[in-house]
Amino acid sequence: MLFALIALPFAAALALMLAPRAGRNLSAWTVGLAALAGLAILFVLAPAVFGGEVLRARAPWIEAIGLEFFIRIDGWAWLFAFLVLGIGALIVLYARWYLAPEDPPRRFFAYLALFMGAMLGITLAGNLLLLIVFWELTSISSFLLIGFWGRRHEARAGARMALAVTGGGGLALLAGVLVIGHIVGSYDLDLVLASGELIRSHPLYVPALVLVLLGAFAKSAQFPFHFWLPHAMAAPTPVSAYLHSATMVKAGVFLLARLHPALAGSTEWLLIVSAIGLSTLVLGAVAAVFQQDLKGLLAYSTISHLGLITLLFGLGSPLAVVAGVFHILNHATFKASLFMAAGIIDHETGTRDLRRLGGLYAAMPITGTLAIVASLAMAGVPLLNGFLSKEMFLAETLAFESWPSYQLAVPVLAVFAGICSVAYSARFVHETFFGPKGHPPKTPHEPPRLMRVPVEILVVLCLAVGILPNLVVADLLALGAGGVLQGPLPDYHLAIWHGFNWPLAMSAISLAGGLALYAILHRRGIARRIDLLSRGKIAFEGIVAALIGLAQRVTRTLETGRIQGYLLWLLAFILLVGASPFVDLAAPLSTKPAQPAGPMAVGLWLLIVAGALTVTVAYRRRLVAVIAMGIVGLGVSLVFALLSAPDLALTQLLVDMVTTVLLLMALRYLPAISPPEPERLARWRDGAIAVAAGLGTTAIVYMVLTRPHPSIAEYILATTMSEAGGANAVNTVIVDYRGFDTLGEITVFAIAGIVIYALLDRVRLTALTPFAAKGPAPHSLLLNLCAQLILPLAVAVSAYLFLRGHNAPGGGFIAGLVLAIALILQYIAAGSEWVDERLDHDWNRWIGAGLLAAAATGIGAFAFAHPFLTSSTPHVHLPLVGEIHLASAMGFDTGVYLVVFAACLLMLAMLGKVSRWEARD
Amino acid sequence: MSVWLAASPVLVPLATALATALAYRHARLQRLLSLAGIVAFFGTALTLVATVQGGETLAVAFGSWPAPFGIEFRIDRLGASLVLITALMGLACLVFHESDADPGNRHPLLLPLVHGVLAGVAGAFATADLFNLYVWFEVMLIAALGVFAIGGRRDQLDASFKYLTLNLLGTLLLLIGVGAIYAATGHLNYGALAEAAAGLPPALTTLLLTVLGLAFLVKAGAFPLFAWLPASYHTLPGPILALFAGLLTKVGAYAVLRVVGDVFAPPPAVLLEALGWIAAATMLVGVLGAAYHWDIRRILAFHIISQIGYILLATALAGEAGNAATLFYTLHHIVVKANLFLIGAIVWRLTGSYDLRRIGGLWQARPWLGVLFAIPALSLVGIPPLSGFWAKYLVLFEAIGQGRIVWTVVALLVSVLTLYSMMKIWLEAFWRPHPDAGWTLPRDARLAPAVAATVGLAAITLWIGTQPEALIAYARAAAATMGGAAP
Repeated sequence: MLFALIALPFAAALALMLAPRAGRNLSAWTVGLAALAGLAILFVLAPAVFGGEVLRARAPWIEAIGLEFFIRIDGWAWLFAFLVLGIGALIVLYARWYLAPEDPPRRFFAYLALFMGAMLGITLAGNLLLLIVFWELTSISSFLLIGFWGRRHEARAGARMALAVTGGGGLALLAGVLVIGHIVGSYDLDLVLASGELIRSHPLYVPALVLVLLGAFAKSAQFPFHFWLPHAMAAPTPVSAYLHSATMVKAGVFLLARLHPALAGSTEWLLIVSAIGLSTLVLGAVAAVFQQDLKGLLAYSTISHLGLITLLFGLGSPLAVVAGVFHILNHATFKASLFMAAGIIDHETGTRDLRRLGGLYAAMPITGTLAIVASLAMAGVPLLNGFLSKEMFLAETLAFESWPSYQLAVPVLAVFAGICSVAYSARFVHETFFGPKGHPPKTPHEPPRLMRVPVEILVVLCLAVGILPNLVVADLLALGAGGVLQGPLPDYHLAIWHGFNWPLAMSAISLAGGLALYAILHRRGIARRIDLLSRGKIAFEGIVAALIGLAQRVTRTLETGRIQGYLLWLLAFILLVGASPFVDLAAPLSTKPAQPAGPMAVGLWLLIVAGALTVTVAYRRRLVAVIAMGIVGLGVSLVFALLSAPDLALTQLLVDMVTTVLLLMALRYLPAISPPEPERLARWRDGAIAVAAGLGTTAIVYMVLTRPHPSIAEYILATTMSEAGGANAVNTVIVDYRGFDTLGEITVFAIAGIVIYALLDRVRLTALTPFAAKGPAPHSLLLNLCAQLILPLAVAVSAYLFLRGHNAPGGGFIAGLVLAIALILQYIAAGSEWVDERLDHDWNRWIGAGLLAAAATGIGAFAFAHPFLTSSTPHVHLPLVGEIHLASAMGFDTGVYLVVFAACLLMLAMLGKVSRWEARD
Repeated sequence: MSVWLAASPVLVPLATALATALAYRHARLQRLLSLAGIVAFFGTALTLVATVQGGETLAVAFGSWPAPFGIEFRIDRLGASLVLITALMGLACLVFHESDADPGNRHPLLLPLVHGVLAGVAGAFATADLFNLYVWFEVMLIAALGVFAIGGRRDQLDASFKYLTLNLLGTLLLLIGVGAIYAATGHLNYGALAEAAAGLPPALTTLLLTVLGLAFLVKAGAFPLFAWLPASYHTLPGPILALFAGLLTKVGAYAVLRVVGDVFAPPPAVLLEALGWIAAATMLVGVLGAAYHWDIRRILAFHIISQIGYILLATALAGEAGNAATLFYTLHHIVVKANLFLIGAIVWRLTGSYDLRRIGGLWQARPWLGVLFAIPALSLVGIPPLSGFWAKYLVLFEAIGQGRIVWTVVALLVSVLTLYSMMKIWLEAFWRPHPDAGWTLPRDARLAPAVAATVGLAAITLWIGTQPEALIAYARAAAATMGGAAP
């Protein structure tokens, strides 16, 4: 049954979402029935709860993080749930008449039901994480409701502000709950409430308290987060009445009360909560006097009353808690009825502007009477409920003991706020219903009968509580306050007459002072000239603007669109972070004696350095730069040769050749004009970064190379003949030990080739260099002849290198490059047109075939239930060639050969073709 | 069977790439092959997760060379779940691509390249060899580059160039790092590296991991190394953008986790400290970038960076809890992020623009799209009970537990700004009326596949949101066997 209680509103929301044609009546009935059924359940539970029992129902949800779907109903939860459902039912009835025919009722009531469910969830949650879940859900549903008229700008702005503040507060609350969870070791409310001592003495108490309070204050519109509430008045009035006065904004103070046993009782609590409550009380009361919008006035008054409740919980004494609970109830009844009355006025006159209203009493006497009674309750006039809780409040401000000046400030400011509240109540009544007739857009008259019923019920309650408190409300109050305190109630006495005492005097001062204040303000017309709205809005929008400005600066600094700038950031950061570990490197860099550098090594080193420097200095003369880069590559391959790594030397040499040719061909397509030279300072900076990066890399390499290092290479050298069946360990590593890497790498190469093809296919360059525009270059006859002579030889060499590769320097990669270079020579010597006429292949297919060959070899192993790429190694002795390895690895190497060769030629052919297409255009 | 299964993360997408490449002249056949391939991939990935979730790791030694001498795929819970999410994203985005919501030009090489990207991503998740990891990063890079380049528009070529240049720097750094680690330890296999690392002087370990970590951070898009991402992503067609946004940066983040949280765990404390601050800066700068922009794609692209910050923060918190949080966050986030981009593409189809200043009116016209958007958007913010809430919970709980106040505060602040950013999209695209008064919904939109894909992903987000227990347990189990911890 407890689960049904919470599920009902959600079921109603779901039903409305799924019912495509529900009109106003059906939608309202659906949600209304959910609320009534919920109330019925509450009444069924009432005997047990009133008997002091705490009802619990648990369902596992996420045990891993200690979140249970735990519903826990004690007196306080019951009372608040009663408030949510009771006022909810009245609001549904009211909203049925309030909504215009063009408003989508299904959507409205579904949001409303969603909110009702979320709010019930907050009240009934027995697990703090579960409470957070519902807490955020109320923020979201409030967002949807404020933005119900989302086509209007102020609705969107109000909704955004409300969600930003309350949602943000919700995140703070989450953090606070996490801290509590850390301290207590559980989120279970029973445990948390019982651990007050533990929490308050924990070093993390203050962070936890501040975070929780941030969440509660943001939700309950406490200073300095109060500003969202007046803007939330862009919502339809039933929403303002329900969410933004009676229930959702009370969630914050509900939480203060809920966690009272766990968090309250410390100096920090007293100071923060009471000070915030006091400032909100005063600020809201003053601002409410100077509003021109009926709902704005009520909104600031709500802020002020919430401040009052917060102040009471902040004072911390059990009696103050009782007063706080009482005022929550009273405020909900009179304020909801006032909002509904304001909505009726708006509905029937078309305006809520106090300056355009007046003299409405004649046109709507019943509504007027109801609103007047509720206003009197708001002002704290005797015989109404507001008076009773206000008396208790005033008594508590007097009983409060603290630093002398603060102790004095609290009651004085409380009276001041009381004066203001009388003033704004008087203004609300007088300027709406009395005085000269206003000029509203519509002719006012009484609303539909049923629209008034909820107001009537609430106003009757105000009176009943005010006149017969012990009969009507005493049990409820005791129930709620008992739940908050989780212990025995203090001694208190509900009565209209307590004799002549200080609180009564303070009430009298408030009443007289308030009326006098209003009289002065009204006569001089001051209240109508000053509009105190939107200070907070300005602050909020200022913060948002500042954030956007910051975002703009940060993003524009970082996202310049200039790649040089990006590279600078990247390298500078890498150097900065990369350099920091060196600071710690106290140990000597090397642990192994270095080999002496022979003259050959020094010579090569100088050659490489000279080549690199030439590129840097002469980078504007592109041809020179490319050749100098070729020299660097050549130097590196000679270093490999010197270190007895013939395979690497050969590969490096061939790669360097192909690269140089490709670069030279690409030079044709570069624009003739280079971007302007960077400034001198920038060049020095870039130079320094480059040198630092080079030195850093060198240092790393030096450090790791000068350490003794056993490695898997020894295993490979030892087993290459016996296990992999090849004497050339480099080749066996490529095609066998690490054949899988090679498969990945030839895939990369193949994709690169194909992508270049796709990029350059039929491309048209818009501006070519003058150099390229000269047309076909003259061809050297001698070179042509040589190239043609070399070609068959090169094919033979390539085949030879391929076949012997497993045992001597060579292999598919090298052989593929040799063949590619032989063909490149043809391109250079005879021109691409000449070659393409004779050799116009779809190289893409060759690449595909190569990949297939490699992959198929690997997959072949599956047939023998071996892992991918497992090779088998029979040896065959061929005359002239020598022993070769006709193993499956051979098939793999063929794939490598094909891909390397074909991809090289593809890139080349495409680069050649671009200029021909260009020439033809 | 297990021999085949362990290699499947790479073999299935590669075979699909090859098959679709060979069918490049036949558009229909190519699309069929592509869909068949991704379904097969998804199927094998599911089998993979089912096989390893009990705690068994699935290994294959390529070429039958035993570890540590050959290359090994060793798929544990961490790797398997990431392979599965890769396949899932591939499935969703390729199905989405069948609709006409921003499909880009249907170049015959697009599908082969996309499967190439998937192979690279899945290979990186599956491998247990540092150099092999580098190879898969390269496959990913080149295939992704191809996807950028084949669009052929000027902005796409500009994007390709920036993507390539900046990423190559990371690749180079990665190569230096891998080479240096091999030279220092003599090993490339993760298991062997983990043993050898103990013998290294701590200062050298710090240096080597710094180089490697920086390379991965470039790939992950961490501050201030992320420039390649916002410079290029917005030029991609919707569904492809979603796929990249979901997966690519996460490979970098995964690599960081694998290295500092597993192979070299526990790493020098200073590295975790540095990572944490980088993560905090990444979160903040990313979300500020999002606040500045008005193009849905650019907004979401900056949120990728911001969320990467959260993931890295979880990694920096380290230990079992931090690692579990990293995995949970990554899995949740991939689904959410890709879905947001996909929904963005639907918005584009219906309103005609990605620019928030030029669109609106969707809440009136297509309320279901609003609900669909709200699920991943609120999950991104971390609103309960959606997947993002639990992800943030795991991170924040651990951060608070370790007394990391500043990181926690930054994380909360970033959440508020994320909320603000999602609200911006909501207010402008959904609530505000369309600025063009004559705007009507297009009548001929072919959105069924798009809706199927996005609804599917949203359902996953909801499922994780309401039933996170299983995934949390899985992530914790995965973390429990990492870093040499006893299973």
